[in-house]
Amino acid sequence: MQKNGPFALAFHTLIVLFVLAPLIVVCLVAFTPQNTLSLPWDGLSLRWFAAVFHHPDFVASFWNSARLALFSATISTMLAVPSALAITRYSFRGRDALNALFLSPLIIPHLVIGVAFLRLFSFIGATGSFGWLVAAHVMVIMPYALRLILAALNGMDLSAEMAARTLGAGEWTVFRRITFPMLLPGISGGWLLAFINSFDELTMSIFVTAPSTVTLPVRMYMYASESIDPMMAAVSTLMIALTGVTMIILDRLFGLDQLLVGKG
Amino acid sequence: MGFLQLEQVSKLYGEFAAVRDFDLEIERGEFISLLGPSGCGKTTTLQMIAGLVTPTNGRITLDGRDITREKPARRGLGVVFQSYALFPHMTVAQNVAFGLEMRKVAKAERDRQVAEILSLVKLTSLADRYPREMSGGQRQRVAIARALVIKPPVLLLDEPLSNLDAKLREEMQFELRRIQRVVGITTIMVTHDQAEALSISDRVVVMEGGKITQVDHPYSLYEHPKNNFISSFVGKSNFLAARAMNEATGVSLRVDNTDLKIPATGSYPGGELCLSVRPEKIRLTDPAGAMLHGPVSSRYFLGNHWLLSVSTPAGEISVAVANLGAPPPSEGDITGLTWNIEECRVLAAEQESALQS
Repeated sequence: MQKNGPFALAFHTLIVLFVLAPLIVVCLVAFTPQNTLSLPWDGLSLRWFAAVFHHPDFVASFWNSARLALFSATISTMLAVPSALAITRYSFRGRDALNALFLSPLIIPHLVIGVAFLRLFSFIGATGSFGWLVAAHVMVIMPYALRLILAALNGMDLSAEMAARTLGAGEWTVFRRITFPMLLPGISGGWLLAFINSFDELTMSIFVTAPSTVTLPVRMYMYASESIDPMMAAVSTLMIALTGVTMIILDRLFGLDQLLVGKG
Repeated sequence: MGFLQLEQVSKLYGEFAAVRDFDLEIERGEFISLLGPSGCGKTTTLQMIAGLVTPTNGRITLDGRDITREKPARRGLGVVFQSYALFPHMTVAQNVAFGLEMRKVAKAERDRQVAEILSLVKLTSLADRYPREMSGGQRQRVAIARALVIKPPVLLLDEPLSNLDAKLREEMQFELRRIQRVVGITTIMVTHDQAEALSISDRVVVMEGGKITQVDHPYSLYEHPKNNFISSFVGKSNFLAARAMNEATGVSLRVDNTDLKIPATGSYPGGELCLSVRPEKIRLTDPAGAMLHGPVSSRYFLGNHWLLSVSTPAGEISVAVANLGAPPPSEGDITGLTWNIEECRVLAAEQESALQS
């Protein structure tokens, strides 16, 4: 690999610093012993982390978000696997349209989707229902799972399935014993990506959550619009840590480049 | 009636015929090669026998049973794919055991048969490895073991050696034949490599443009190719434009300015003909009294032989000279060429022009 010159190295360092600076500042502020948002010049304190764990709304919202992300990521992955198989393996009328439809939530602003769901939910009387919240999340996070599974399917050698067939395996056995295990890295990567996206989703969730189903990002948004204190920084730090750990696991298991860029 | 029989088998993709009117009878225990350039329909033929492609027309019977429309899982043939198609998430032993598992063979019996076949392909020590931890040649052996362990009536090999480097390919070629002999299994191999086909098959089926052009034993195929395509595809050949002097009996041919008496092996068609001579059948002689002569235009040393190109009035002629110690004439030297009349083939000239177009 080619080495960077001193100028390029300085440039890259600046870019990386620029991207990371806000996160670093938030993480530092979280450790302040003061009552205001300030850098911890005079000693470190975990009091704001403690405050988060003693704030029942935040704890409840965290579990809401976790439960929501777990359900919606699992359901969207279960929908994405057969969809991806249909799109890559079969040619039928409207295949491209279907593919575009499945991926469209990526390009439609979440604000628009949120308003649309708000109208729909109040129309069918689903406001405040956890099930319908899951459905809304499934719609916006499925494209992430689908994209990864599509990439995995496109890179897969079909002859392994043919070989299994010649060895006496029926269609279902081929899927269960060969296709699914070979796709597993793509599927689990898709699941994790969907999970993170659901856990982080704010714009749409603002419109469709009810007091009993408020997610963590929505709770933070509500809290921050009333008052700003270092507890927000502590929550943010926890979320950054959680996402970071997930990303490291993803990278160790499958390689992030391969998951996010696809095998081409 | 052959053990495996293909009758008038065709595969059409719209207007395009990938395989047309394929007729072949294969005896039990035979090793058959389907040889041809890419796109000649050899792989499609193999896939139709395996059941991975459904023929448009025709009939395939195995041991008297019509299998034309049977699913691959029910045919029970052993297939080795070009990419080996090993299951990457299973160990060697699990890969090999897969077919037995599908046949609901009990665990103990399965283990015994897997061990037996792995020892046949000399992989016993690697049973617990994953395919990604193995070399190309080893993966190839796993693929063969996996196909053979179900005791299929026929083994189908799709370009089995094309992913191996030259040295390994030669080794595996004879290894393949050894295994085939030990098991005594009827085998069909698809290849585009004529050396491979000639060295290990009982019979070679040459295909071109979806059709069979010749079916023969390797030696007769090489010595008596039916047309220019075969003589240039199977080995190398020099083609000389010729004319029959006596059209009725066809015993005398005019090549360039020389008359060649050719033993009558049948009547030759009148008009333009073509003479095919293999490079290794030509001898270098004194220019005086030689059939053709001219300067050596290029000379390559290939280890066990030299490859010379000689510019003669009849065109550039390739000559292979065995390396017997003394180097042949160098570039620019005038040399004479001669060969035994019985060792050249007479073919109709149209075939060549059709091939070149």
